[in-house]
Amino acid sequence: MLDSATLKAKFNAIAQIMADNCDYLVELDRQNGDGDLGFSMKSGFGDTAAALEASDETDLGRLFLLASRTFNESAPSSLGTILSIGMMGTAKALKGSQTATAEEASAGLKAGLQAIMDRTGSSLGEKTILDSLAPGIEALASGDLAAAAEAAANGSEATKQMLAKHGRAAYYGEKSLGILDGGSVVGRLIFEAIAK
Amino acid sequence: MKKIINDPENFEREMLEGICAAYGDKVGLLEDDPKVLVSKYPVRDGKVGIVTLGGSGHLPVFLGYVGQGMLDACAVGNVFASPSAKVMTDAIRYADHGNGVLCLYGNYGGDKLNTAMAREEADFDDIETAEVIVADDICSSPVETKENRRGVAGMVYAFKIAGASADNGDDLQTVAANAEKALANIRTMGAALTPCIVPRAGEPGFTIGDDEIEIGMGIHGEPGIEVRKMITADELAETLFAPINAELQLGEGDECSVMINGLGATPLEEQFILYRKIAQLIEGCGASIVMPHVGEFATSMEMAGVSLTIFKLDAQLKELLLQDANTPFYTTANK
Repeated sequence: MLDSATLKAKFNAIAQIMADNCDYLVELDRQNGDGDLGFSMKSGFGDTAAALEASDETDLGRLFLLASRTFNESAPSSLGTILSIGMMGTAKALKGSQTATAEEASAGLKAGLQAIMDRTGSSLGEKTILDSLAPGIEALASGDLAAAAEAAANGSEATKQMLAKHGRAAYYGEKSLGILDGGSVVGRLIFEAIAK
Repeated sequence: MKKIINDPENFEREMLEGICAAYGDKVGLLEDDPKVLVSKYPVRDGKVGIVTLGGSGHLPVFLGYVGQGMLDACAVGNVFASPSAKVMTDAIRYADHGNGVLCLYGNYGGDKLNTAMAREEADFDDIETAEVIVADDICSSPVETKENRRGVAGMVYAFKIAGASADNGDDLQTVAANAEKALANIRTMGAALTPCIVPRAGEPGFTIGDDEIEIGMGIHGEPGIEVRKMITADELAETLFAPINAELQLGEGDECSVMINGLGATPLEEQFILYRKIAQLIEGCGASIVMPHVGEFATSMEMAGVSLTIFKLDAQLKELLLQDANTPFYTTANK
């Protein structure tokens, strides 16, 4: 069961895992990005977790709205903005709910995923964060957090075999084969933190 | 890393404070959003506003073109990162004088997403906006998919044309159409000799061999189309000119403007040696050059290298190009 206290705790855990993995993400991003991934995720999730912690709001939708705005302010990079758009989509879906079952939470996050796809014109299999988020969110519906983490990790690993179609990585074309997508690793870390 | 900085975390803020300390009579930061640099030059009533956005690390791009006859405001991001949608919205609000705002900016993922969100917010406030995206770097995508190209130094000409059009009292659609028309005639190609260092990263994100030149590299170190052993200035001029002219087709009697842009660590002397050959090549086509631009217009911090931009003109574009513009970083008076 997801409520405001759990949501805050999960965001704190995500902030922690992004801070712990900052250097690793920078390193990954340097292979086909500009190396700011670790910094933007550390600052984005760090500031968002702090803003949620400081809020008395209990409506899950409004908390996701706060998260979306804070995240965009703190991490307006491409991936940061994409996550912020996703949080906005989830905010709309969960508006008016104080609690959510695993199934409802999964559906809310799916709405966020759809918002990202609508706005960016991207779909699964294009070597992006969607490739780890989508299977993680799908598995989350059962309430088995460890299974969700595993699904997200497998999804991230599979990006090695994908060709980049979006953003800076797309300039590398065939050269992107064999390289793990940094954004998908962020998705894996999110689910790893949630499962802890 | 050897840089003249304090804490890398304060890089952007301290740069903006320095700019305001130097040019505070001409430009300033919004009090409630210190990531928006705005023009203090006098503005005609009801002028269409022009704003841009983009990451730091490219001065004078982007904020250096805030001033008279170019941009009204610029949303400033961290090094190589887009500013947030809120910052862009604040820039749009400031620039609106009642007749709408043109968002004129480079083709990068974060900038596009944040502008899209900012324009939706502006719409809530009944501010009309239009958007023109700069995609002038011919090495970043073939001509068949030229809408995927990155925006680089050619955006300076687009700022100039849109700014002049807005100064003349043109409406939003006309200003946007003039910017589009200019961009249809602007092409850029660059080459890099050394990498640049993002202050927070502390070391180069990529390498270029000591004896190598990377043709077509982007202003954030995006990979180019070819790494070659170092070539001469004249060979580089031919390498950059041929693909641009294959698209622009300069011919007898045509007029164009030429921008040789240093990427940060290339001396002006070398830029003029390159310009010398480019001028000969253009003359060889029977075309002539109007208002050449040689210097640093769109840099990549300490990257060594250059880009060549050619802007093919007609009578209307030439007139708009020649019209006065003045910012702390740019003036038509010396060109």
